[in-house]
Amino acid sequence: ARNLHSHKKPFRTTELVRMMYNESLSPADVIRKWKGDDEGPKNDEDEEEEEIFFKKAPGDDAPENLEDRAIPIFNYEDLEEKWTDEDNLETLRRRFASSNLLEEKEK
Amino acid sequence: MSDQTTQPPIRFSGQKSLVSRLVLSTLTGRPIRISQIRSSSSTNTGLAPHEVSFLRLLEAITNGSSIEFSYTGTTLVYRPGLITGSAEGLGTSGGVLRHELPAGCSRGISYFLIPLCLLAPFSKSQVNVLFTGPGVITSATSTGDVSVDTVRTAILPLYAQFGISNNIELRILKRSSPGSGGRGGGGEVQLVFGHQVRLPKTIHILNAGRVKKIRGVAYATGVSGSNNARMIETARGVLNQFVPDTYIFSDVSSAPLVPIENKSNPGAKRKIGIGFGISLVAESSTACLYSADVASPPSGGQTPEDIGKQCAYQLLETISKGGVVSSVAAPTMLMLMAMGSEDVGRLQMGRHVLGTEEIIGLGRDLRAFGAAGWGLRDASGDDGDIIVSIVGRGVGNVGRKIA
Repeated sequence: ARNLHSHKKPFRTTELVRMMYNESLSPADVIRKWKGDDEGPKNDEDEEEEEIFFKKAPGDDAPENLEDRAIPIFNYEDLEEKWTDEDNLETLRRRFASSNLLEEKEK
Repeated sequence: MSDQTTQPPIRFSGQKSLVSRLVLSTLTGRPIRISQIRSSSSTNTGLAPHEVSFLRLLEAITNGSSIEFSYTGTTLVYRPGLITGSAEGLGTSGGVLRHELPAGCSRGISYFLIPLCLLAPFSKSQVNVLFTGPGVITSATSTGDVSVDTVRTAILPLYAQFGISNNIELRILKRSSPGSGGRGGGGEVQLVFGHQVRLPKTIHILNAGRVKKIRGVAYATGVSGSNNARMIETARGVLNQFVPDTYIFSDVSSAPLVPIENKSNPGAKRKIGIGFGISLVAESSTACLYSADVASPPSGGQTPEDIGKQCAYQLLETISKGGVVSSVAAPTMLMLMAMGSEDVGRLQMGRHVLGTEEIIGLGRDLRAFGAAGWGLRDASGDDGDIIVSIVGRGVGNVGRKIA
């Protein structure tokens, strides 16, 4: 069963529903788990232990992580790379009214 | 009011989503107790100036609220009163409530405006607040606040979808950027929110449509207007290939003069809040709005070209996340839906807009205040969006229950 567990697809809606109101997980953990950032089953326990250590370490949480932000922090270099890449631009083009719908249907 | 004292306060800890909890508390009438506010910080323990300022604002637009905090400011007990708005006689003169922000404030004015707008539809009389003082920053800030232009063009139009659209105005009287060290600005903004409702309409927004136009505002305070032109040019350079209908306004103003404490020269004034920035809003064919905001950091060192480009890329990123709301607008939409009538409203959201700490936290907070849990299911279509179904609480406007 553990093996199956490790192969689960990230970003599944049902997963999020299950974890959403699970008060034993912090919102950050929910997101992390949902994204499937957890390592394989073997590392799982180690990681959790490590986490506890991390949480207890003073000054571990950067102060900016603890404040509310309306705009998330972007790494603009990554963003620039992403949005100068032709493939990414093409996929985004569907979201714009200027794109040719007929052409898309032909594909 | 007497029954409220019997209600035990809902307990929260930490300074995260402090404002949204206070807003929820005011809307639902449940008292809250928040502990451990920056209790581990050795330098800035307790409530920050902007949070105290927000509490003062809450006190000013409500009647009968009580706010108590501990000596160190790490624990806060808030018992909400009725939202009266800018009613005459309670610190209001001529129908306008003046709210002064201290010079130490490091958050943009949108930090106050967005929650205030959430409270305003449920107010007894209209809300008319003039934000003034040396702490008003109208631009986007490096602390993650959107600019006042984004509030005006991307947040306020959302209220129309809930049937709240009359007599809402946000006047930008004086612009400012963050001053040195990211603190203070000296701007002036007036919010008039004259449409009060009994209950917001239940919404079903499932079609994101396609982006058809982009509007924006480039602003420069105390610096040359050519910065605006440079930001606009690079932003357009990125966006024009997608949307030919891109128009970015340019607003140049002088830096605000703020009096400084100086014994030898009591009339002395100082220019603060110099900088520039840009706000972009994309509108889809179904009137969904996506926004992006970047401003020059108070430490300087970034060219207008960088700012323009960053903002354009940020906008593309926001659009690519999909859904009908951006992450800036999502808390407003979700909260209004939860306050609606006891009916199921639906909202299609991008996977990565929903899957953020803020939104999950908000969902939990809402449940703590007695709202029903959200229903999530996959949307049809290949975008990978999620449809969020929210049952309203039917609390609505206590002040308007009879009317």
